[in-house]
Amino acid sequence: MTEQTTLRPVGIDLQESEENRALIDAIKADNPELTVRHMPGLVKLQAAGQIVIKRETVEARLGRPWETGEFQLAIVSYAGNFSEWDDDQIIVRWKH
Amino acid sequence: MSLTERPPATSAPAKKLPVKQRYSLLTRDLDWEPSYVNRADLYPYTSYEGIVVHDWDGWEDPFRLTVDAYHKYQSEKDKRLYAVLDSFAQSQGHLTLSDASYLNSIKLFIQGVTPLEYAAHRHFAYLARYLEGPAPRFAALCQSIDELRHAQTQIHTISNYNKYYGGFHSWSKMHDRVWYLSVTKSLFDDAMSAGPFEFLVSISFSFEYLLTNLLFVPFMSGASFNGDMPTMSFGFSAQSDESRHMTLGLEAIKFLLEQDEANVPIIQGWIDKWFWRSYRMSALVAGMMDYMLPKPVMSWKEAFELYFEDQMLGGLFPDLAYYGITPPRHVQDAIAEKDKLSHEVYKILHNFSFAAAFTTSTPSDDHMAWLSAQYPDTFDRYYRPTWEKHRSVEAGGGRVFFQGLPQLCQVCQIPIAFTERDDPTRISFRHSEFRGETFHTCSDGCQWIFDREPEKYVQAWLPVHQIYQGNCGGPTVPDVLAWYGIQEGDNGEYAGSPDQQQWAEWHQPAKGGN
Amino acid sequence: MQYELRYQVIEPRRHTYQNVIDRLGDQPASRYLEGTLDVEPRENFHYRPTWAKDRELYDARYSALRLDDPYSFLDPRQFFYTPYVTSRATMHDEFGKTLAYLEERNLFGRLPDGWRALAATVVVPLRHFESGAQLVSVAGARFAHGTSIEQCCTFAAFDRIGNAQMLSRVGIALGNGGGDVLASAKLDWQHADHLQPLRQLIEEVMVLDDWAEGLLAVDAVDRLLYPLLYADLDEAALLGGAGAYSLVAQHFTAWFKDQRRWLDALVSAWRGDERHGGANAAVLDRIDTEWGPRAATAVAPLLAVVQQEVQA
Repeated sequence: MTEQTTLRPVGIDLQESEENRALIDAIKADNPELTVRHMPGLVKLQAAGQIVIKRETVEARLGRPWETGEFQLAIVSYAGNFSEWDDDQIIVRWKH
Repeated sequence: MSLTERPPATSAPAKKLPVKQRYSLLTRDLDWEPSYVNRADLYPYTSYEGIVVHDWDGWEDPFRLTVDAYHKYQSEKDKRLYAVLDSFAQSQGHLTLSDASYLNSIKLFIQGVTPLEYAAHRHFAYLARYLEGPAPRFAALCQSIDELRHAQTQIHTISNYNKYYGGFHSWSKMHDRVWYLSVTKSLFDDAMSAGPFEFLVSISFSFEYLLTNLLFVPFMSGASFNGDMPTMSFGFSAQSDESRHMTLGLEAIKFLLEQDEANVPIIQGWIDKWFWRSYRMSALVAGMMDYMLPKPVMSWKEAFELYFEDQMLGGLFPDLAYYGITPPRHVQDAIAEKDKLSHEVYKILHNFSFAAAFTTSTPSDDHMAWLSAQYPDTFDRYYRPTWEKHRSVEAGGGRVFFQGLPQLCQVCQIPIAFTERDDPTRISFRHSEFRGETFHTCSDGCQWIFDREPEKYVQAWLPVHQIYQGNCGGPTVPDVLAWYGIQEGDNGEYAGSPDQQQWAEWHQPAKGGN
Repeated sequence: MQYELRYQVIEPRRHTYQNVIDRLGDQPASRYLEGTLDVEPRENFHYRPTWAKDRELYDARYSALRLDDPYSFLDPRQFFYTPYVTSRATMHDEFGKTLAYLEERNLFGRLPDGWRALAATVVVPLRHFESGAQLVSVAGARFAHGTSIEQCCTFAAFDRIGNAQMLSRVGIALGNGGGDVLASAKLDWQHADHLQPLRQLIEEVMVLDDWAEGLLAVDAVDRLLYPLLYADLDEAALLGGAGAYSLVAQHFTAWFKDQRRWLDALVSAWRGDERHGGANAAVLDRIDTEWGPRAATAVAPLLAVVQQEVQA
């Protein structure tokens, strides 16, 4: 898909927990413009346009195999669209 | 493959199917074209609303949750949640709430919200049967069972509070009978009695996507700020289910808009109707978050600006503009009244809580200072004087409760106490004629909703009309309260209530000598 | 060393919700009871369904089978959401382990011809029967009267999709990781002679008005099919060098046993109901008379395949 993607902010809220530490680090590494806000029990991630989650990056930081399906356990809320979700990556962005 | 051909027994390495294809084989591919019965008999409800779908295969599933993964993740979530509930109960954690009065917000929650979770559970099962596409049917089935989870975890979370505090004990019966709860009950009855596509747009989209943060974050954050760990944990735990629900809602709306241009005006009409219908219901949340939390989180105004104006009007609707969808009709009225809504609603609850299964109080000086700071344009000018009047009556030992029954809006069923957009001193009051009778609504939004489907709204079981018709236990207030199932201590003023008195007792400093 | 923890004792005002107290007295109640009894709305509905203008949103009339008190039936398994998903997580985890074991050792590839044929042309196509059974069960989830019954139907519906997915995964394994076996199974479901009576039956059951009749008609098939294909073939499979078949079959036998517990209890409740028992019995007998023989007719050709392929 090559249509012009907007730069409106997308966001993901994740549970702040021991298991998600590696996940959050991985997302930070793959999304250099990401802003991260820590609230009690919750981590709010935000970026312009899109946020990418890559399985390989997560696995490297987690130290064990990780399936993109596991992301469902971590997520609390999101603003945007899940425009891709396959074995290797998840992308959240607005469609138009 | 015929019975005579056999593929060779092979030890070649197994191929691995890509996720999307594997998921499709485990869900969509199970479906088949019937030939012994007519498709129209199998799916009789998908054309009467005028919605056109050319290709159900166009439905996308971003959350590819197979049954085994569902059970694995969900059982893990519940294990963690119930561990928190058990530990809170065991340690008598309710003693660490900010104040017993906080629980009035949770009484409103179990009476008003839990039954809606259950209703969603039942009616997503309807979609799981009657939508023609196997992919959305499976998504609906997962949502149906998720909503049962929410209803039951809420019942269990609140079970502990029910043991020690009033107002929780008869939530299901009260949802069927009590006046303010017809606001929530009628909203979901409205959605369930509509066709499958309207239900999908009204609940999956308008409720679960457009307004979800506005409806749930105040309760869950309120829990967090006021020491209510079980409710907060429930909130976190349910939220990951909600991501799937939000996705279903967004996918539903886009799918229908993309299928046929003829769908666009129908869906626009539903977006317009359901924004206002759900927004009016959220007025109860506004009153709760501004007035019922000993430690407030944020004002209704701030929540509305963040969760609706910024995220939805600023984020989602520009996305939908691509399809020709415009922001909801009457949204400007909602924006215009954000400085008024919570005050007008709480006044109703405060004045009528003698007939409610929760207690209310006039705000303290500190609380009024907070309200003043949150609402610099309206609070001191329009609402403080009335609260101060209540304070002086109470200082003299009295307590004002409204003597009589209010007129209800025929659509949202809230007492007609909202004010005109440009004049906070004038009650907003509309009427419509249908079959020779006059019906009353509270706003342009509700009037518009009534006028497009009057034959529906005239059916409503309006609590005040029903009391006057003698259908609610008897002619006196005590008769009606008994029929509601309200028990001593559930209702009225918080100060001096059993909840308040026992709280004071439990938190007395230790007596000397031991 | 043992110590006794002292804590502030606070007497509860009540031990459970009022509706449970009204039924069972003021004592602590199970989570099953608190989450099930009287949850479904009973009265004062606001609008009639536009899709069923002569009914209410919740209505006993969606079935000919009635209970005077819907909660005279309770699930003997006491499944509310949490124990249900916990139980199924274990079941599916075990199935996953079975599948992994069989795939690693290429035990599907090494099935004797007859067993492989049975699996590919009878068992795997039943993924579609399970999918149809799910549609039938989910109607009960919406239309059954009372939370105790609808909850069992909800879980049964989800189970059927679970079964369909397990069968699909078997099909993928039989196809050495690809979709070929599933594709030919679907063609068989649609065209092969031995499956048409069953497909016709499930299609006709799917369009029945009465959700309970649908559920019982499907059960009439299950009560023949499950023993035939799974429990009763276990011994033969092991002796016949088809260990893979036996290992897979045990999961379906276990599910069927669990399904019986609530469905048999519900039928008993219908027959034994003080007010409606007589009328219910007549309806149940009529359903047996109508769907029993149909089920036997549908299963007969599958029995023939069993006899031809693995019992010759």
